[in-house]
Amino acid sequence: MTGAAAFTAWLAASVIVLSDGRRGLALGLALMAVAFAPLAWIGGGWPAATAVLAGGAVAAIQRLRSGTDGWGLMPAGSTSRLILVIAAGVLALWIAVSVTSGPSASIRFAAPAVIGLMGARMLTAHDPAALMTAVAGMALAIATAAGLAAAAPGLAPYLVAALIAAGVSALRVSEARVA
Amino acid sequence: MWPDGFGLSLPPAGRALIIAAVVAVALVAALPPANVGRTTLLTWGVVAIVAMTAIASVPTIDLAILVALAVAVLQAAAAGRRSFAARLRAPALAVGLLAIGVVFARIQGPPILARFAAVALVAGLGAAVGTLPFIHEFDPDERTATSPIPWLVFVGPALVIAVVSRADELVPSAGAAFGAMLIGLGLLNIVWGSVASWGTENGAAAWHYSFMADWGLALCGFGLAVGDGQRAAVLVLFGILLNRLPLYLWSRQALREKLLNDRPFNLLAAAMLAGAAPFAGFAARVLLLRGATEVYWPLALVIGLGLLLWLAPSLRLGRSLGMPRGRQALGVGIALALSVAIGVYPQPILALAGL
Repeated sequence: MTGAAAFTAWLAASVIVLSDGRRGLALGLALMAVAFAPLAWIGGGWPAATAVLAGGAVAAIQRLRSGTDGWGLMPAGSTSRLILVIAAGVLALWIAVSVTSGPSASIRFAAPAVIGLMGARMLTAHDPAALMTAVAGMALAIATAAGLAAAAPGLAPYLVAALIAAGVSALRVSEARVA
Repeated sequence: MWPDGFGLSLPPAGRALIIAAVVAVALVAALPPANVGRTTLLTWGVVAIVAMTAIASVPTIDLAILVALAVAVLQAAAAGRRSFAARLRAPALAVGLLAIGVVFARIQGPPILARFAAVALVAGLGAAVGTLPFIHEFDPDERTATSPIPWLVFVGPALVIAVVSRADELVPSAGAAFGAMLIGLGLLNIVWGSVASWGTENGAAAWHYSFMADWGLALCGFGLAVGDGQRAAVLVLFGILLNRLPLYLWSRQALREKLLNDRPFNLLAAAMLAGAAPFAGFAARVLLLRGATEVYWPLALVIGLGLLLWLAPSLRLGRSLGMPRGRQALGVGIALALSVAIGVYPQPILALAGL
């Protein structure tokens, strides 16, 4: 179950990296919320899972309402992005399975993979909708990574990440501000 | 009683820096620069202090990183001259690096993993503050609140304190590597910040580089991991907040009008910025050199040589204040007096910071 969730989280991050349209970005966020919810359960129980799911769902719905129209999946010139998502997935899988040990292998795979991919998206994107989606994804990944801590992180990181994900997706950056 | 994970506690160093930030904001808001509204200054100052307090007081490093992410987005979303992407890029890189560092620090694996964690944490701190090689894009004509300056002055110090104070638990086996990288990054910024501050054509950019040079000293101090180093770093951060930031804000109008001056007042300001005795910078430098000598004396030699580079850019920055009159002259006078007071008797500040 958690293995599938971790793989889905990487897939969701890949969709966000490979999409420029609002539907693609929203799909990525929705998938990420569904994937991170069971991983958040490991660190913070059902309240954490609920917070992540709710925050991600609100963020995905908000994302559907702004940004470039359509899916925008793999537009022309996105070969480098495709290579990036595959390389990040392979590297994260190698670190989680071969290099590291201990509990929560699924978080060890999903958290660095998603953080890395969202960071790369933020560094390369210019469109505010893509940037805000990457911020939302990054926040959810950071909260999920809190489950790796030796002490139980409590509900706080999950709730804060959910608020950030929902908040940044509702934030509108006007064209005048972008200029 | 707070629910699990929501408890807030302010460590002494964070508390001291927040008090310094409150004093700095009060000073600038009470004696605002020409053509800047007091309400605007006060609003942005309060936002910065709230952000600092949140980062410094949260119970876990994850929450500190998440708060920094929220601050980055909110600052980038405010109207500014640079593009939204340009404003978000560097802080987002910092958040990503810090998060990766924390993940690597927490998972079990070979010793090299702890060193990678230390690399990511130090790189993340550099990116958050905006030091070399992660200098934030700077537009000299942009207003200060939406420029990279708040990261150098308010958010950066809080984040550095949050990470450095937890370094022992995050990377216990790579503590030496963590400290060595901070010192290396610090030395790089001492040299680059001073030389660039002297050589750049734009006056506002010169101030920006001078913040980086000061940060070089602070990073060296934090990296030394001895009492004197920590004390020096805290005093440098106090200097950034109480002296360099107000002087930068008061110099903006003179810079726009290209009014340079060599009056004694300007020379005094230059001496303060250069860390001459009896100003606070001098006490910080003495403590830093003492700490470096304690750890490895050739390091003190290198830092000492680096300190000489401060003189020329400080004279330039002092001249860029123009001829302060009225409330600005009073403000510069208060900043000078505060610096002398801290330089002559730094003990209350250090005690406040738990050092």
